[in-house]
Amino acid sequence: MKTFYVNVRYLIVPVMTVLTICGLFLGGIYAWTGVFLFGLNIILDTATKNIHLRADFDENGNSFGIKTFQYIVMYLMLPIFIVLQCTLGWNLYQFTTSSAVTIESLIGAILSTGLWAGLGIIYGHELSHNKKEGFSVSRAVMALSGASHFTYAHVYQHHLELGHQNDPATAPRGRNVYWHTWLSHFGQSKFSFDLEKQKLERHNKSFFSLDNKWILGYLYSLPSITLFVWSGGIIGIVALVVVWSISNFLLEALNFMGHYGLIREAGKPVEHRHSWDNDNLFTSWFFIEIGRQGDHHVRGETYFWELDEVGAPNYEIGYFTLFLLTLIPPFFRKYTQKYLDEWDNNQASVAERQIAKDYYEDTKHLSNNILVA
Amino acid sequence: MFGLFKKNKSFTAKLADYDQEFIVEPGDSLLTGALKAGLPWPKRCQVGSCGTCKCKIIDGKTRAEIDFSYVLSPDELNDGYALACQTSLKSDISVAVNLID
Ligand code: FES
Repeated sequence: MKTFYVNVRYLIVPVMTVLTICGLFLGGIYAWTGVFLFGLNIILDTATKNIHLRADFDENGNSFGIKTFQYIVMYLMLPIFIVLQCTLGWNLYQFTTSSAVTIESLIGAILSTGLWAGLGIIYGHELSHNKKEGFSVSRAVMALSGASHFTYAHVYQHHLELGHQNDPATAPRGRNVYWHTWLSHFGQSKFSFDLEKQKLERHNKSFFSLDNKWILGYLYSLPSITLFVWSGGIIGIVALVVVWSISNFLLEALNFMGHYGLIREAGKPVEHRHSWDNDNLFTSWFFIEIGRQGDHHVRGETYFWELDEVGAPNYEIGYFTLFLLTLIPPFFRKYTQKYLDEWDNNQASVAERQIAKDYYEDTKHLSNNILVA
Repeated sequence: MFGLFKKNKSFTAKLADYDQEFIVEPGDSLLTGALKAGLPWPKRCQVGSCGTCKCKIIDGKTRAEIDFSYVLSPDELNDGYALACQTSLKSDISVAVNLID
């Protein structure tokens, strides 16, 4: 029974994505299903903010997670997300060729697709750490949002440089989520470009090679572009831009929330204190434990169902609730300041605390509550 | 076809310069096997990006779980170097590594 419960609880996203697809098929008010579910998730996340669970192991220390089952689900998410995009394409086609789909229904379908394609990065992220096949599925999932470069940048840059200015996915204090989205997205793409350039040079190959994963990543997005242009023409292009903007915004919002304001000295090991944990019940189950960032960044090859609470700094609310706050930067900064102060004073190393102190003195930004540098 | 359907078999890794060996359980990386055996194998990122866990496979068959060419040079690849955190075993192996003192 425990095994069943531990494995089934991670099916919230697959079920909700399928419901979103059904809504797109039905059209009308149902096309807004994905938006409605996103709103419902904010309520559920906030309602469970005080429930924090630990990873489940039996008396011998073995996890209840079934690897084969979880991997099949993660791999199946690729065709599910493809069907989601195709269903939106079908809506676009109906809209441009007949009056079967209204503008209200189409807007709902576009927003629903953007939100759930964005949530697909949960699987893109998890699979980026696991084996060759999983890595390729991760690239394909991310390519549906035009962000295939993420997979390489996440593994080869973010995990190495996290908490340091060399990592575009780490947001320094004072940055807002909107600006972060641009800087992080293009910073990671630039990193992936440079990574390929160096690799190909080392191997005496041309930059314009089929071994160039940066170029290939963008080519993987061509089917999506073709689908939207073919089914909706100009409106299809607008829909694609909206879907990709929303999904990439969600991706970068997760990066933003995961490391905002935390500091690590260059060259020093990544430790639990360099990531924010978001591990209330709903966030843990919905985001397949992606919120256990502290453990994930220290034990990068650990399966998500084995990640645990490790004493990392914690905002004490889930991702959906925190995401609402990030949308209004002054609220977000006000909420996070006391947690940053707590981190500076109780978790940061002496050198990290000094970097934080220098930041406040240089920028005169917010309050400086660091007790001792 | 997929890694999740691989056979369940443990293999032994023998440390060339230390006269020690350890078991690598199915599904575990070479590094995980070493750490479970309590060996001070050098490590940092554990995702295949830093190169700290680099070792040389002297004998036996292994599988690279990610592309090593971003971290290892062409010469190192030709010489059989691997990243232990992203290496799984397909047979018993002999491996050379500088353990942390
Ligand atoms: S520990 Fe970093 S490459 Fe293995």
